[in-house]
Amino acid sequence: MLRKMAVCLFVSVFVFGLLAVAQTSVPETPDAHVGGTVTVGVSQTFIDMDPRVGNSVYDAYIMDAVFDDLVGLDPETLAPIPYIAKSWEVTEDGSSTTFYLNEGIKFHNGEDLTAEDVAYTFNWIIDPANGSPNASEYEWMLEAVVIDDYTVTIFNKPDWTPYCPGIVSESAAIVPKDTCEEMGPEAFNLNPVGSGPYKFVEWVTSDHITLERNEDYWLVYPNLDKIIFRPIPNLATMMLELEAGGIDIVDNIPAQDVPRFQADPNVVVQQLPSLSYFHIGFNHSHLPSSDIRFRKACGMSINMDAAIFSIFQGLTGVRAYGVTPAALWANDREYLEANAIKEDDEEAVRLFNELKAEGIIPEDFETTIYCPLDPRRVQLSTILATNLQENGINAQVQPLDWGPLLDLLYRSEADPLGEDFEIYVMGWSGGPDPDNFIYYLFTTENAVVGTANNFSWYSNPEVDRLVKEAATCPGCDQATREALYVEAQRIAFVEDYADMTGYHYIETHAVRVRVHDYQINALGDIEFCSPSNNVWVDG
Amino acid sequence: MFAYAVRRVLQLFVVLFGLTLLMFALLKAMPGDPARIMAGLGATPESIEVIRHKLGLYDPLPVQYWRLTTGLFNGQLQAMTYHKPVWTVIVERLPATAELGVLALLLSLVVSIPAGLLSAVYRNSPLDYGVTTAALVGISIPVFWLALMLMMVFGVILRILPVSGRGATLFGWSFLTIDGLRHLIIPSVALSSVLMALNARLTRASMLEVMRQEYIDTARAKGLRERVVLIKHAFRNALAPVVTNIGLQVGTIFAGAVLTETTTAWPGIGRLVVDSILRRDQSVVFGVALFMATCYMISYLFVDLLYAYMDPRITYD
Repeated sequence: MLRKMAVCLFVSVFVFGLLAVAQTSVPETPDAHVGGTVTVGVSQTFIDMDPRVGNSVYDAYIMDAVFDDLVGLDPETLAPIPYIAKSWEVTEDGSSTTFYLNEGIKFHNGEDLTAEDVAYTFNWIIDPANGSPNASEYEWMLEAVVIDDYTVTIFNKPDWTPYCPGIVSESAAIVPKDTCEEMGPEAFNLNPVGSGPYKFVEWVTSDHITLERNEDYWLVYPNLDKIIFRPIPNLATMMLELEAGGIDIVDNIPAQDVPRFQADPNVVVQQLPSLSYFHIGFNHSHLPSSDIRFRKACGMSINMDAAIFSIFQGLTGVRAYGVTPAALWANDREYLEANAIKEDDEEAVRLFNELKAEGIIPEDFETTIYCPLDPRRVQLSTILATNLQENGINAQVQPLDWGPLLDLLYRSEADPLGEDFEIYVMGWSGGPDPDNFIYYLFTTENAVVGTANNFSWYSNPEVDRLVKEAATCPGCDQATREALYVEAQRIAFVEDYADMTGYHYIETHAVRVRVHDYQINALGDIEFCSPSNNVWVDG
Repeated sequence: MFAYAVRRVLQLFVVLFGLTLLMFALLKAMPGDPARIMAGLGATPESIEVIRHKLGLYDPLPVQYWRLTTGLFNGQLQAMTYHKPVWTVIVERLPATAELGVLALLLSLVVSIPAGLLSAVYRNSPLDYGVTTAALVGISIPVFWLALMLMMVFGVILRILPVSGRGATLFGWSFLTIDGLRHLIIPSVALSSVLMALNARLTRASMLEVMRQEYIDTARAKGLRERVVLIKHAFRNALAPVVTNIGLQVGTIFAGAVLTETTTAWPGIGRLVVDSILRRDQSVVFGVALFMATCYMISYLFVDLLYAYMDPRITYD
């Protein structure tokens, strides 16, 4: 199939610039900044420390410090920047990318990091026998081939252009081949060996993970002696720890606590729009939710701007108007906002009555809005249900644990139309490319029983065509791709009203003022020492 | 007595067998595909398949049951999301919950028994009202809320105790280090609040019951000192129901530990239960549930045997 093409521009635009940037030396770190320990409070417990299988954003905090990525990510522009790879070249036909690696990089056990390790990492992930949850990020990859000790070529599957979103994410962190094979996946997961700025020391499950400085780090001398990560599942406890100074960094602040910490002279609140999309979806496989009038009437029943403001108080979430996050290109925010459905109860009631008169909405119609056990999504569902009830639709909210919720939304062979649900509230996080969002959530390819993520089974051949073209046009530039994604979104959201756009989450971290040069990015990663920063603390 | 003990131990195994069946049935009845939840959103069908095979979800149910139960007892059952055997995971967490539970129980006994005793002796006095009111408050306040208040007062405002976590350990135990002991105070006080209240009320009621007995009047008529009457004749006899209740409080401790450990970021069995359920790690849920049930049953057995020892009128033969 011919999807995922045009980002070759996305990559190739950078190639020449990167070649120049690649040789830029990292400035020496002043000795005055060396030393100290930072304690990070994390709202979830850790599961995996092996980047080949770890796919939780919380695990990535550790993996980002212990491992190096093949390619880095500019925190501001979200553009790929050199890391282990000092440069890369894309073939003219876009069928492969050759990466030239920095020499002299060593893993924490003294082994050299070579092209063998890079190829091994990717080939292990894409091997179905290993069952890596990260394999889906590399669906485009055929194989990684070693050219010489410091050159590796990644070949794409036929008709897939060099679209490499995963390469800039944390799951592309490189592991040592020999050590992995010697230890086996389970043991490596508990005692990871990377080449990153901090070495793994210990993991006391559910209590803490300790990392210490890699004295021989190739890129720069890491400033911190130690980093301690503490999973603290209760957010109220986490806020108290931050106030008491027990932890220096918090990865998740509830909206109601943001003003308090913004006013606290000991704490700095850092915010960045994240690459996420939360929405109210409709089942397009059966009536009444497959009827656009029903979806529009639902949209007219709720003042979404006010709902999102009440949930986030304008602090940790921003209204979404399309699937592409506001932080990303091709979001077409202005147009979609201007054409978004506004609250209009009178018209909503008229449409509902029309559907009732036509028998599309049965007399005894009752509907349930399904959502995960996430307070924000439960709140949004409740607001919608209340508004629908006011307009004559008997709606209730059913928050579900992930198990039953996914069973419902993934459907089954026995019930491919998903007869049991009409409306749901879900979310999605992706990489720094619009394709990561619209492809997975709004194309027919992803409307499949059992695994796919287009839960609504929305299907429009024109949207499919535009998305495929945007991702598979060899040599087309970002502007061309942007135009295609913009058109696809306009069809999905303005013409078809495929779903009700909800919000994009804003990454909100709190950092004590003793911590400097701390960076978050739109992917939700925490970087302590990278090509663009090196965290240090006051004595 | 010995025959009774042997009989009870044998019964324990029968109950355990029944529990394994019940737990297995409940796990299988839980909605949601554990492999899909472990793989996460966006996982490929192939990776979900591999996890299903690793978990043995395609095996016949009796085979799955046999693997779970035998694997748990021979230490081979793997905790998929912890990357180590289930038994190892439980043993690693056990000291944290054990020291928290024991300290909470000790704290509750040290406070509640004298309080209940005095409350009974000075019945209808301001002291009695104070104790009964405090007990009512203790039962009514949710453990997690009390923990948060203690953290705020002693950790944030006064800054004399650490807010959460377990701190330094020695040989896996917090109480062996000063830092660990300091970390232990808030969670154990929070957990002990419910136990304190229950034990104080029970001690008071039991003492009042005993003090109405004729042998207490007889003791007094003999001219014994009031202290001797209260401690030797009344209190000793009033203790039997209190001791029984302490044994039954193992269940209360485990239930309280789930809330206390989650609120205070204490890495014990209580948090393990919550984490494993959320991760759908069925092996761990199965193992922990059986472990808790076994502890509960052993404490019952122990209390029954102790009961006979404390009250010579009770025989089991």
